[in-house]
Amino acid sequence: MKALRYLALSVAAVLFLVPFYLVVRNGLVSESEISATSWTFLPSSVRWENFAELFSDPAVPLVRSMLNSLVVAVLQTAGQLLLCSMAGYGLARIPYRYANVVFYFVVATLMIPAAVTFVPSFVVVSTLGWVSDLRGLVIPGLFSGFTAFLFRQYFLNFPRELEEAARIDGLGHWRTFWRVVVPNSRGFFAALGVIAFVTSWNQFLWPLVIAQDQDSWTVQVALSTFLTAQSINVHELFLAAAVSVTPLVIVFVAMQRYLVKGVTETGIKG
Amino acid sequence: MRHGRAFWLFVGPFAAGLLVFVYVPIGWSLVLSFFDARNTVTPTEFVGLRNYVDMLTDGPFLSSLGTFSVFAAFVVPLTFVLALALALLVNQISFMQAFFRSVFFLPTACSYVVASLVWKLSIFNGLRSGLANTVLGWFGADPVAWTVSTSPPWYWLVLVTLRLWLQLGFYMILFIAGLQRIPVVLYEAAALDGARSWQAFRFVTLPQLRTTSVAVLLLLLIGAYQAFDEFYNVLGTDRGYPPFARPPLIYLYYTALGSGGQDFGHGSAGAVILTLLIVGVTLLQGRAVRR
Amino acid sequence: MISRRRLLSLACASVLLAACGSNTGRGGNGQALKQWYHAYGEPGVRQAVERYAKAYTKTQVSVQWNPGDYDSKLATSLLSDGGPDVFESTPQISSVRAGQLVPLDDVFGDARSDFSDSILATHTVDGKIYGVPQAVDMQMLFYRKSFFSQAGVQPPSTVDELIDVSRRLTAGSVKGLFAGNDGGGGVLGGPALWSTGLDYVRDHQVGFDDPLAATAIGKLRELYTSGSLLLGAVKDWAEPDAFTQGLVAMQWTGLWAVPAVAKALGDDFGVLPFPSLGAGGSASVPVGAFGAMVNAKSKRIDEAKDFVRWLWIEKTDYQEDFNLGYGFHIPPRKSISERASKLTSGAAADAVKFVRDNAKASNPPDWTSVMRTAFNDAVSRVVRDGAPADAELRAAADVARDELKRLYG
Repeated sequence: MKALRYLALSVAAVLFLVPFYLVVRNGLVSESEISATSWTFLPSSVRWENFAELFSDPAVPLVRSMLNSLVVAVLQTAGQLLLCSMAGYGLARIPYRYANVVFYFVVATLMIPAAVTFVPSFVVVSTLGWVSDLRGLVIPGLFSGFTAFLFRQYFLNFPRELEEAARIDGLGHWRTFWRVVVPNSRGFFAALGVIAFVTSWNQFLWPLVIAQDQDSWTVQVALSTFLTAQSINVHELFLAAAVSVTPLVIVFVAMQRYLVKGVTETGIKG
Repeated sequence: MRHGRAFWLFVGPFAAGLLVFVYVPIGWSLVLSFFDARNTVTPTEFVGLRNYVDMLTDGPFLSSLGTFSVFAAFVVPLTFVLALALALLVNQISFMQAFFRSVFFLPTACSYVVASLVWKLSIFNGLRSGLANTVLGWFGADPVAWTVSTSPPWYWLVLVTLRLWLQLGFYMILFIAGLQRIPVVLYEAAALDGARSWQAFRFVTLPQLRTTSVAVLLLLLIGAYQAFDEFYNVLGTDRGYPPFARPPLIYLYYTALGSGGQDFGHGSAGAVILTLLIVGVTLLQGRAVRR
Repeated sequence: MISRRRLLSLACASVLLAACGSNTGRGGNGQALKQWYHAYGEPGVRQAVERYAKAYTKTQVSVQWNPGDYDSKLATSLLSDGGPDVFESTPQISSVRAGQLVPLDDVFGDARSDFSDSILATHTVDGKIYGVPQAVDMQMLFYRKSFFSQAGVQPPSTVDELIDVSRRLTAGSVKGLFAGNDGGGGVLGGPALWSTGLDYVRDHQVGFDDPLAATAIGKLRELYTSGSLLLGAVKDWAEPDAFTQGLVAMQWTGLWAVPAVAKALGDDFGVLPFPSLGAGGSASVPVGAFGAMVNAKSKRIDEAKDFVRWLWIEKTDYQEDFNLGYGFHIPPRKSISERASKLTSGAAADAVKFVRDNAKASNPPDWTSVMRTAFNDAVSRVVRDGAPADAELRAAADVARDELKRLYG
């Protein structure tokens, strides 16, 4: 029974890892080997020079688009954590006559996935003149009702004693938040932050709509453009894909604990 | 009054953003949906409900809802069952548990674009030397044009397996978290009552996972509803998108931003309809859970 | 007193704002004219057009290269204020009616008579010229001579022969024909119409509302179901890889691929037009030319026109380099094409002959993207799904008729 379990898991694990292997394999072979007449698991020869070729090919804006992705993901993660944690704290902890009204407006947005309203959002962002612009890529994604909601739920359960101690020391809401609440919530911030980063790095539809000039492409848009047009060498495309996944694999390995926590936090409450 | 200032200090920036980037777009598109808004976002020709009538009688939009239904009918149950199975397997072992969990979770690091690249050009290309066709070849079968063939529609196999690979690990983690919240005493009690393992699963595990299961189902459904990335990247070409397998967002994308001109009237009407549908489903689900 | 943490948070916020404020999309320099190209597949073209732009001294010109679905992207950007000043495309009557294009008749000057009339006609709407033709592109059928002689078959001269030959050349890992990963619906729809003597649009009327059209598209379905098409190749029809790698005996691609094919196969290939279906029809090759056009929303129309005049009228050496230095294209100007020695032998010479004898406009101005989409979708449904050809084409004809009515009244 136990052996059977391990057998099943091992077969599944191999199936899950094969696509990763294929990205790397196809990135390191010659162009003709990808569409050769017969397929071999191991390539006939590994061409490390493909790296040099990829990074020197002016047709593939890989470095630029990875940089764009990085900037977008970092700004979006930082901005979302900042804005949504503040909003969540205000909604959870500051008594105010209209707090409930505001809260309902936030909750109402939870029912509408952002992707479904990409057409209206495009209308607004293009009116602001933010098409093919970093602002258009980053800012609309900062105001996640869901993240604010999660922060509010979290702060509702935050131990009041800690805040009261700060209050006794004469700190207002603002300084209490930054000096006591945030430093004691690092794990939660890290969990939501990792999720926000991964989501931002991998998002596709919104950057596809907004990043129309090549200079503003994120790495997903760049890869997709070459994939649907097939206008570069396929081995370069695979290698570029491998390079684009590497930062996230590193994040996954390094931040596994927070990631799992983030998934359970953001997933279950969905 | 002091509280009011503090409140807005914390909530104000977020609320302003929410207003500008969520409520204004929805309001604006509500307006646009009643106008003939081809190639403009400040239309003048009021057409009443015509855009809605067009969308709801227009074959492509309704058939995009059909495409979503087919896709969801495969993806939702398959992901649910397989993710639960993986979670149970991983949860029951002790040796190398972390390793297996990481392996199944790792595809979450990949974007749909990268997965589409592998699925379209490597695993499911139409060449005899494609990976899937190589496997078919071992059994003496002829190669299949996976992403091209519409009868039988093999592209569903491509799209469904792709999404399974990408999202199984995520939902497995949710199930594992659910499993770990089940009190061990329940199993001990069941064992005392002489329950076999499948009985324990049927009468302890499943009922205890109810909240997780409902959440997972809803997330899966919403995820399938928003399907865009893999359809666009596997089936799209530089000359547009084939006239089949268009889920709602693909259809809206080509209506509102495609080469046929920007039709924001119809695109907005479609967005409003989709929004109403998803709000309806969410409210229904909320009511079902409360009951 | 500002606490350290507060300082930090303020710093974060200001970094965020500063970064958001910096404009990354526009190349930093507001002074440069923006020129757009679609992505040419042949190596070297991009560097060439950047070199041309750099050589222009009157204004700075920044070139944007656009891989992917260029038509959609261009259509979108022409509606916004952020579009290019100068771009390459073929004019559509719908864009002209929407006031998106600047008439360029005064740019031509004396050089007008040097341009091929048939090509100029595809850039003319209501008597005005909206594009300066850059390079003539044409598509044709490439076939592998050695595969044909081994199988003992002759190059096809009718559509039925094409289907038959394709079937007979299919053996083992070699397929008969590659005409795109969609099974030919995308690129062969026009040639199939022409093979019966029909056309997209004729005298402002729908040109394919005819039972013969259903027959023609039915032939594409026959080809698709014959099992002799290569489907799902790694690269699509515009790249000759499937053909040069020996995966197929025939491929539909373009004149631009001739240098790459010749490099890989030497003399072992020939070219053909798409054959005729029989009586009334004719063999055909789709011909079109991207032209340099000026965006009517540009704030610097005069400078843009000056640049177009300089590059595509005056700089004949650049025009020659652009047409013949990378992949092959036919120069739209008689004075250049006459001295183009690369086009006087082999497959390229055949192509020039096809253009003279069998040319059909692939993108006539009155064939708008709405009509094209309706037609292509109909063809795709017939070819890939086996939908009834007559009903599908009738529906597409209805769409085209409405659109023509909207445009011509």
